[in-house]
Amino acid sequence: MIDKIFFNLTRFSALLILVIVAWIFVVLFNHSLEAMRTFGLDFITQDEWAPNLDKFGAYAAILGSVISTTLAMLLAVPIAIGVAIFLSEIAHDKVKSFFGISVELLAAIPSVIYGMWGLFYFVPILRDIFGGMGIGLLAAGIVLAIMILPFMAAVTRDAMNTTPDILKESAYALGGTQWDVIKDVIIPYAKAGIIGSLILALGRAIGETMAVTFVMGNVHHVPGSILDPTTSIPVTLANEFTEADSSLYFSSLFGLALTLLVMSFVVIAIAKFYFLRKARRA
Amino acid sequence: MTAVQKRIFINKLALIFSTLSAIIALAFLFWILGVLVMKGMSALNWNIFIYEGAPPGYMESGLKHALVGQLILVGLATGIGVPLGILAGTYLSEYGKNSRLAHTIRDISDIMMSAPSIVIGAFVYAVIVMPMGHFSAWAGAIALAIIMIPIILRTTDDMLQLVPGTLREAAFALGAPKYKVIKDVVYRGAKAGILTGVLLGIARVGGETAPLLFTSFNDNFFTTDLNAAMPSLTVTIFNYAISPYEDWQQLGWAAAFILSMFILGLNILGRVILFAGKRK
Amino acid sequence: MASIIDIKDECALHVRDFEFTYKGALAPSLKKVTMPIAKHSITALIGPSGCGKTTLLRSFNRMHDLYPGNTYAGEIEFEGRNILTPKEDLIHLRTKIGMIFQKPTAFPMSIFDNVAYGMRLQGIKNKTELNDRVEKALKDAAIWKEVSDRLKQDANGLSGGQQQRLCIARAIAVEPEVLLFDEPTSALDPISTQGIEKLVIELKERVSIIIVTHNMQQAARVSDYTGFMYLGELIELGQTEELFVTPKEKLTQEYITGKFG
Ligand SMILES: Nc1ncnc2c1ncn2[C@@H]1O[C@H](COP(=O)(O)OP(=O)(O)OP(=O)(O)O)[C@@H](O)[C@H]1O
Ligand SMILES: [Mg+2]
Repeated sequence: MIDKIFFNLTRFSALLILVIVAWIFVVLFNHSLEAMRTFGLDFITQDEWAPNLDKFGAYAAILGSVISTTLAMLLAVPIAIGVAIFLSEIAHDKVKSFFGISVELLAAIPSVIYGMWGLFYFVPILRDIFGGMGIGLLAAGIVLAIMILPFMAAVTRDAMNTTPDILKESAYALGGTQWDVIKDVIIPYAKAGIIGSLILALGRAIGETMAVTFVMGNVHHVPGSILDPTTSIPVTLANEFTEADSSLYFSSLFGLALTLLVMSFVVIAIAKFYFLRKARRA
Repeated sequence: MTAVQKRIFINKLALIFSTLSAIIALAFLFWILGVLVMKGMSALNWNIFIYEGAPPGYMESGLKHALVGQLILVGLATGIGVPLGILAGTYLSEYGKNSRLAHTIRDISDIMMSAPSIVIGAFVYAVIVMPMGHFSAWAGAIALAIIMIPIILRTTDDMLQLVPGTLREAAFALGAPKYKVIKDVVYRGAKAGILTGVLLGIARVGGETAPLLFTSFNDNFFTTDLNAAMPSLTVTIFNYAISPYEDWQQLGWAAAFILSMFILGLNILGRVILFAGKRK
Repeated sequence: MASIIDIKDECALHVRDFEFTYKGALAPSLKKVTMPIAKHSITALIGPSGCGKTTLLRSFNRMHDLYPGNTYAGEIEFEGRNILTPKEDLIHLRTKIGMIFQKPTAFPMSIFDNVAYGMRLQGIKNKTELNDRVEKALKDAAIWKEVSDRLKQDANGLSGGQQQRLCIARAIAVEPEVLLFDEPTSALDPISTQGIEKLVIELKERVSIIIVTHNMQQAARVSDYTGFMYLGELIELGQTEELFVTPKEKLTQEYITGKFG
């Protein structure tokens, strides 16, 4: 009797996850129907976002999301790989544990604080160097890069550490240098895991809101350069959700949310089910 | 230069690059941490814990409202998310095991763990805030709970699976029903691990801002009404930081400092428990 | 105390008063080991688990240097110099003293690239030279027939025994003076083991070989000299037949008759 109840309770809780995920998709889809019907494909190809005219084209926001995360990846990936190599192949034990703690520290800082730091300390520097407002895609890309760096470096290091010692030693035994071993043995061996880790970090970066909201500008137009203020999907949602005053406006925002969810779902699923699963099997 | 000398040279370059990367990463870390600690400490004072929010320029303004709101929100979320997460994890580890359904749930939950939290906020807005017609602490707590469940589920699943099967069999052999075996043997064996998972889950949602923006919204005044908008540290940081007022920005830094310490503390506590559990 | 044979012929390596301590360990894992290794012959190292065989073997190509904090004293002479000095060129040393591991360690690349790897590291780029030397190494390692038609395929598709022979091919392709084998057949089936043993015997014409083994029959089958180690010491080094038939030390006697270990 109690056994049965307990079993059903656990099963209900487990199924609830599936229900919630499905529900999220359904709700976002239903609420964005109006925008989809009204604008069709224009919703993602037009960049005019004019609430007063009830015209909503998400192109600028989508582009902003894509470019800011791409920039963040371009900046973070080489450094993260460098850090991962440092941690797995160069650093002594003490340095390793010091670094490990530092990474935990960084991971513990809420992303809103990265944004705040970016706005008050990093944007002024960009302004001094490049002129203009300082806020925009470059600032967003850099803050985002800093924010995903620890996570990215940690998972990349973990992937590299799966290379068996004996395999590395075999390359050293043939007269290889550390770099030879890294590029010829470790990276090829852990390739799937490394790529998976990097893409997983990308998946997180796409949905990151608070770190970029401060430094993006929230201006709905396609920027002339990465130094101009613009917007991205999460930034638009964060700034406008509570201000929406027409049902089409709301629907358009839900359309943005759905777009973001699909983007991140696809990216994360590719990372987890293609690369990381392949890495685990190897 | 011979081929070997060239390789040695390239090796040096690569090692230098890699060490430099680490130094750059550390430099940013200490920059951010340094700013957080300096600004936060200098803005800290007793008023913060005594007074609630006030218009800019008032001396008697503090963060009491946001501190209490944060605790309420995270507490409610924990109350909802932890039991559900643990029960779901129990299903996966003890009943579902390697079944198709169990794997599907694991996979979906894994993806959910990295899904954009602002989207969860939009979802909760649509299913709770819109029908109710106003923001509420409940809505915020539910959004946080949805983010928390996959984390708790995953650690529970992992930790329960670490409990050796022979232990379960021994209990079954004594004639105990399954729920008793799980409760008395499996949970007990995995206690430290689950507790760690719970603490890390709380730490994770404790730092979330985006899902609260349009669920619990914000309020500059002290409230314990769960059916009304509720202030939180994170949203307060956001609002104060983007405000043009110097004294609000100061409060924002203080809030950021307090929040970070809270989350760091949870992280450390979680790891200490796990470590102590492992040693046993 | 220890009974160490005096090798009349030229020595490939000469270990003298060698001591080795792992990082953080309280006691040395090797104590005052003195051991000549005869050129162009096979020296087997036997002894119970944990006696220091692997530790000694990995000292010859300074593998221990990959992990900082280990300390050693004494000397190992190779080509007229002590290779334990800090100024020793490890890259050069390791191309002269190759190593085969307990498990096959095919790199994640094609069969051809595996064998060519060491040569490429030395800067050999010439296609025909590489092709010729890869073919020769594979033939010498008795695996050419099995892989000649799939050189471009991933080496991890080979069987364990084939992979181990591939690793031997890879090691001999750079034409080392000495080859170190650490229980090279412990992960293989009896047929593959036979193949490797045969190969090792053939190789001694060109290289000097040191082989660690847990299997006394194997030591007896392949080696010319056998060293028996116990608790970090070399108890006895002698010609294989003598050591197994008329051991000079009581400990050796007890070990080979299966009293312990
Ligand atoms: N990395 C290490 N750090 C500390 N001590 C070690 C390490 N590797 C081995 N030892 C110790 O050194 C001693 C010799 O070990 P070694 O691996 O050389 O033994 P072995 O004779 O090869 O044993 P086996 O037959 O089991 O391979 C053992 O007491 C072992 O515990
Ligand atoms: Mg060994």
